Amino acid sequence: MNFASTAVQDELAEAALHYLTDRYPPARVAEFAEHGAHDVDAWPELVRQGWLDGDLGLVELALLAQANGTALHPVAWWSTMGAALPAYRAAGLEPPGTVSYGDGSSSCRARHDGATWRLDGHLRQVVDAGYAVELVVAATDGYGPALFTVRTDDPGVTLSAHDGLDPLRRSATVQLAGATGRLLLTGPAADAARVAGQRRAVVLACAEAVGVGQRALAMAIEHAQARVQFDRPIGSFQAVAHRLADSYADLELARSLVYRAAVAVADAEADGASGPTESVDDALACAEVSCPAAAVAACESAVQVFGGIGVTWEFPLHWWYRRALWLQSFHRARTDALATVADALLADSVTHRTTDR
Amino acid sequence: MRLVDTDDEAAFRATLRQWLRDNLPAGVPHSWDTEQRRAWSRRLHTAGYAGITWPREHGGRGLSPSYQAVYAEESALAGAPDHVNVIGIGMVGPTLIRLGSPEQQQAFLPRILSGEVIFSQGFSEPDAGSDLASVRTLARRHPDGWVLDGEKVWSSYAHLADYCLLLARTDEAPTRHRGLTCFLLDMRAPGVQVRPLRQMSGDTDFNQILLDSVVVPADAVLGEVGAGWRVAMTTLAHERGTFGITLTSRLAAELGRLVETVRAVGASDCPIVRREIAQLHIEVQALRYTGYRALTALERTGTPGPESSVLKLRWSLANQRLATLAVRVLDGRPGTDDWYGYWRRQLLRSRTNTIEGGTSEILRGIVAERVLGLPRSH
Ligand SMILES: Cc1cc2nc3c(=O)[nH]c(=O)nc-3n(C[C@H](O)[C@H](O)[C@H](O)COP(=O)(O)OP(=O)(O)OC[C@H]3O[C@@H](n4cnc5c(N)ncnc54)[C@H](O)[C@@H]3O)c2cc1C
Repeated sequence: MNFASTAVQDELAEAALHYLTDRYPPARVAEFAEHGAHDVDAWPELVRQGWLDGDLGLVELALLAQANGTALHPVAWWSTMGAALPAYRAAGLEPPGTVSYGDGSSSCRARHDGATWRLDGHLRQVVDAGYAVELVVAATDGYGPALFTVRTDDPGVTLSAHDGLDPLRRSATVQLAGATGRLLLTGPAADAARVAGQRRAVVLACAEAVGVGQRALAMAIEHAQARVQFDRPIGSFQAVAHRLADSYADLELARSLVYRAAVAVADAEADGASGPTESVDDALACAEVSCPAAAVAACESAVQVFGGIGVTWEFPLHWWYRRALWLQSFHRARTDALATVADALLADSVTHRTTDR
Repeated sequence: MRLVDTDDEAAFRATLRQWLRDNLPAGVPHSWDTEQRRAWSRRLHTAGYAGITWPREHGGRGLSPSYQAVYAEESALAGAPDHVNVIGIGMVGPTLIRLGSPEQQQAFLPRILSGEVIFSQGFSEPDAGSDLASVRTLARRHPDGWVLDGEKVWSSYAHLADYCLLLARTDEAPTRHRGLTCFLLDMRAPGVQVRPLRQMSGDTDFNQILLDSVVVPADAVLGEVGAGWRVAMTTLAHERGTFGITLTSRLAAELGRLVETVRAVGASDCPIVRREIAQLHIEVQALRYTGYRALTALERTGTPGPESSVLKLRWSLANQRLATLAVRVLDGRPGTDDWYGYWRRQLLRSRTNTIEGGTSEILRGIVAERVLGLPRSH
């Protein structure tokens, strides 16, 4: 039996957390959030620290994503490492900096224009597009979806950012009007990279959610130990303590599911197309339902435990709460994970398996 | 981190799976009576599946807890019953191995494994449930050892038991946790009376034990006189240890049964049922992988990780929800499924899950204080 992070993985997570908590005290996070800005200067340091290394496994990346959620790291690491990066790597390239992914497989067309590709159409909800140097775009090239990159400073690219719940993670609609595309992958290779990207994005977002919830819980615990009412620390009241214990339980269960999803996806990638997609789908769906929900609940409990302070603009907890809510709506918008699970369980041809070994 | 068995675990699993196939009666029954369970325990013992993690010198296989987990999963999947001596094998045996004298180990361990000697656990009393340190059953010195007077309650399987691991007060010490002592009580000693208590499910598998001037020999003390609290905590730690995996494995098998029931009555398309089943499945998977994390920590460090504290807390709630959903799916369609009686009983039986082995409130308190470091509640 071996289903826990190794000492080396724990070290990686601790080092990441140490770096992030040092660099981003909550007041600084709030500062970035107020201005809807990212710490764009941080990227070279992340590269130096190995956060983009090709040899990091998905479990290691999930641990980094957890740390990002805990610190509410204001950089476009997730949009780079999730859906976009597998496309670069499959094409034997490295991203030129922060990048993101836009799915235009049904709304964008790619055409030959002499020796170059031109892309037309629009991309919805491109996360952190405003910080991306390049976008990976899935567009139809006449045969099927192929993957291209476009530079965001190309004259044919127009971004319009949306205001959302989470100012540290904004999406944009992207208009492509004859934008210059560089072809990355076509055919089955493009399909595989899209699937890999989607799966990784889900795993990392779920891991981030666990980190977000964990931070909210930690803030609440600290407050519950210190705040005195009726001559006692409020953490000695069971109504408070039990609420936090439930948050802890939610988060630990969610953490187990995201580790499982990370390992399942990594195993499937290692096995190539012959990997067991059924258990990958189940692992992803389970994580998608439980992780953001646990994060939202932990933030809501934390707000309650902080009382009046908890609902003020000045107190930074709401930035974490916003991220939790963003993560939940991101997953909801993507798929109905509960329906995925129910379909698999209740399909007449499939019997419920208690073990996927 | 890996999702699959090691080669050795996989081999153990395959052999066990085949053995279960060959040895379980065809058409595994919904519930097993005591005689069937005794016979099953004898078979398990002969085949070497009792005491998988016990040291070899005490008749076990000396394997790591992950093999016990494999056993739990496979036997749940196959619909095999509990060992008739669950308390003996899972709790009293490991406590004897840690704290018993060589004579006690020799006298009890082999017979616990074979199912020859059945144990019960007599900790709770009418006035000492969650607050176990307030036990009042009195043990006074006697020329032949000790004499016991008092009343125990909710003692599972005491009606079948040959012995009881009993917690009694030997000293009216000012600090409540001291002055307690554990005894290995012979249930056939004069003065011991067992009265079955009936649960709302109709089952009568727990009991009241009345002790009226029961004389026990001096060598019936387990551990040291006055150190009974530590003995009891060792026992309860085992109850809350790898047992989590056993509970989760059963829950997974139970969910499989519910899915079949839902299909059988044609409720597969009901949106509410679909959502609830999906939620339960997710909960089962979460418990399962959290159990693996706890088990890995146990194998690496000798103690289960803090995450193990949530297993029983959440298992009990999921088990209750599952049984409730099953009855809701079936109600109004009685007679359409021969599992109806089973599920109705499970529903009523599952209410005990949030009470037995530490109530949910007590478990949340343990998480809050020991894991989260919150101040003690008053
Ligand atoms: C099916 C079953 C089998 C059992 N088998 C055994 C056995 O084999 N051997 C044995 O010794 N015992 C056994 N028990 C007893 C079990 O351990 C106790 O029932 C349990 O510890 C609760 O004690 P109690 O019943 O006295 O309830 P109480 O302690 O009186 O609790 C009543 C209610 O008050 C709450 N409460 C109590 N204290 C607190 C607190 N500090 N904070 C918040 N809430 C609190 C409880 O959570 C509960 O909801 C069994 C019980 C059941 C139901």
